[in-house]
Amino acid sequence: MTTRAEFFARIRGELRKKPALFAASTAARPEHPATQADAIRRELAERWPETLEAFRLEFERVAGVFHRVASLDDVAPTIDRIARERGARELVSWHAASVAGDGLSRALTARGLGVHEMPAGEAADGAERARLRAITARADLGLTGVDLAVAETGTLVLVSGAGRPRSTSLLPPCHIALFDRTALVESLPQVGVFLEAWHRDGAPPADGAVVNFITGPSRTADIELTLTRGVHGPKEVHAIFEDGGLRG
Amino acid sequence: MTARRRVSLMVTCLGDLFFPDVGFSIVRLLRRLDVVVDVPPAQTCCGLPLFNSGYHAEARAVAARTAELFRDSEHVVVPSGSCAWMVKHEYPGLLAESGLAALAGEVAARTYELSQFLVRVLGATRFTSAVPGRVTYHDSCHLLRGLHESRSPRTLLENLSGAELVDLPGADECCGFGGSFSVRLPEVSTQILDKKLANVEATGAGCLVACDAGCLMQMRGGLTRRKSPVRALHLAEVLDGGRP
Amino acid sequence: MVDIARRAGARMAVKSKSMATEEIDLNEALEREGITPVETDLGEYIIQLAHERPSHIIAPAIHKTKGQVAELFSRELKRPVEADPEELTRIARAELRQKFLQADIGITGANFAVADTGTVVLVTNEGNGRMVTSLPRVHVAVMGAEKVVPSMTDLMVFLAILAKSATGQKLSVYTTLVRGPRRAGELEGPEEFHLVLLDSGRIAQLGGPLREALSCLRCGACLNVCPVYRQIGGHAYGHTYPGPIGILLTAMLEGTGSVKELAHASSLCGACADACPVRIDIPKMLIELRREVGDQKIAPWIERVTFKLLAQVLVRPALYRLAARVGRVLQRPFARGGTISGLPLFLDDWTRTRDLPPVAARTFQERWAAEREAAP
Repeated sequence: MTTRAEFFARIRGELRKKPALFAASTAARPEHPATQADAIRRELAERWPETLEAFRLEFERVAGVFHRVASLDDVAPTIDRIARERGARELVSWHAASVAGDGLSRALTARGLGVHEMPAGEAADGAERARLRAITARADLGLTGVDLAVAETGTLVLVSGAGRPRSTSLLPPCHIALFDRTALVESLPQVGVFLEAWHRDGAPPADGAVVNFITGPSRTADIELTLTRGVHGPKEVHAIFEDGGLRG
Repeated sequence: MTARRRVSLMVTCLGDLFFPDVGFSIVRLLRRLDVVVDVPPAQTCCGLPLFNSGYHAEARAVAARTAELFRDSEHVVVPSGSCAWMVKHEYPGLLAESGLAALAGEVAARTYELSQFLVRVLGATRFTSAVPGRVTYHDSCHLLRGLHESRSPRTLLENLSGAELVDLPGADECCGFGGSFSVRLPEVSTQILDKKLANVEATGAGCLVACDAGCLMQMRGGLTRRKSPVRALHLAEVLDGGRP
Repeated sequence: MVDIARRAGARMAVKSKSMATEEIDLNEALEREGITPVETDLGEYIIQLAHERPSHIIAPAIHKTKGQVAELFSRELKRPVEADPEELTRIARAELRQKFLQADIGITGANFAVADTGTVVLVTNEGNGRMVTSLPRVHVAVMGAEKVVPSMTDLMVFLAILAKSATGQKLSVYTTLVRGPRRAGELEGPEEFHLVLLDSGRIAQLGGPLREALSCLRCGACLNVCPVYRQIGGHAYGHTYPGPIGILLTAMLEGTGSVKELAHASSLCGACADACPVRIDIPKMLIELRREVGDQKIAPWIERVTFKLLAQVLVRPALYRLAARVGRVLQRPFARGGTISGLPLFLDDWTRTRDLPPVAARTFQERWAAEREAAP
């Protein structure tokens, strides 16, 4: 092992030998990413229907299942239908504040689903953490919100944090993600602007250690190049778009 | 009346020693197009075999001598894409160390692989086939990926009277020659060749055309060994059907 | 690494695909400490069961048939298993799910790291990268020091390039950006996070002839188009990184001497450079390696003598003409019907499988000179 100082000294030493070798310039970065992110949001507010349609196409291309509902009242029936079609009974969910508020959990429970909402913060102790993990590992469905939905690639971007465990979108065989027009962006470069903003001068959606990009269900082609789904992560990913706006 | 164009033929070592007919086909083709052809005497090799095996000092000496031979040429025409690539792509860097950068740059700029010279310089695309029937074309690696040329040979073959060009599946894949590679790893080289020849035979073409003496040596060697009816010919031989 | 694992009291380590850990033989080191490493990428899991090494950067078990995989699984599970990719994948999911939940430590490579946010980036299609970074108590990421990009803006560019070149996707299924251990308020995630940067000859190449190879994203595109790789497969290269880029990386990590034969295992067809999304001129650097092998006199002496003699002949036209005449005499017993079908000794390397054209009765230049004299 080398110390940090030695390591960097070695790099500087080698680079000094032939200074002009790495002429390649890095990508131009936004100077005020938060301002630019706001500008992107404002522009997209004008043309979100096109962005949504582009997202739907890409999301379906990567084998996601897209649903569109008019209002929050229609979300529970849609999830209920997904559950019934699969004989699913147990659902784990991010804390309601990070999905669509308390009403949804109540509506799902009323429809007979076992709803396990994750706590808004840390577990009290290891035993509680283990209990919650076991629930998630057993659950048939995992319900989360979405921080960005990327039209170019059909990708859902989820930031981890308090009330937003990473495993909700990972352990259950079926992941359901709920979003509205505020999450839509067009392209990966735009995602870059948001990531820069979240890090530098804007408020991130949550303060967890991990950001996950999810582009369709888990897949592998490791056996004879035959495509199979759900090897480790979910076999199915559903995205429910709500027209009315989840945060009022 | 414009002055007649003048071409110096770089016959190359393989062309000189093993495929002299190719050189004479080129001379006839060019003369029929009213080009004055000369062959600077005492040619040997462009130095590519030495260069690619890592013997750069030795390659430099050979390259310097060859560049010198073509110092006063108006155009240099080469029957092989790989040798043309060597002159155009590697001579300037290689010869810079011998103080011959200017000469190397000039010769490089005036050097053309045959099909490129015919199509892009002379604008000549109409020839009569020496081998009537179906022909297919193999892209030599250095011509295709080194000189980025896939169009000129096809233009010539598409317009070739008496012949029909059919697509070769995997035309852009290596034939397995690779110079010394063909004898350093003969088994691998031959397996790559077998795949190529299976594709060739599947086209139903009677003639396989290439623009590189190395590929031709490899592919012809494989075809005759398997007693295939398909003939492997250099582009110049195929275009040379209008022989008086 | 072993230290970290030992301090964590680890008995089992789950790993997501990492060529960097292959490079340092980490699994063997862990096993010696009594820590069981479990590969969780399906392809890696298969070859771990088979006690083999990956044969491809992206598809490590591409050399195995489904029948062979089924046999490996039934041996492991001690029950018959159907040779169906769907069923085999389901079994692997169930088996490995238990390991994810039990493991004490998660080990990953990293596809990128982002300098200004201190983020390590993992790209997988299966989701094992997410499992390994979320569930165990300790996460250790191992990566080559060259994988750092300046910013998130750059990262977005590279993510798209990697996915397209590796598997033809617009984006891989999971891209996981990790910036350290579990944060305050988070229910899950590791308590400890370690990042190990590998030098192993990389930094010395910053100013060296192989520096372009430091841009390699490990997408495997050059393997898929390489005629030699397609014939011989990844294992034949005999080192961690196979294929044309693997020759360069092996030279970088283990020195030029380690590739004195491998440097010649390429026809220099250039398909690799064409396929490379970051434009690494692989053939040029293979030639460069061959030059080093020659300069350092580690090439066989017979080869060096041959090429030096050849060079002498090629700068002396009289010798060249003489060589042609000698060739014509020597080939006489072997040339039949205009071809040579067999030659003695090492010369047979060509003629064992291919015919060889004989030196022409009169070379082009001999004929040309004769014609000039006849009709000046």
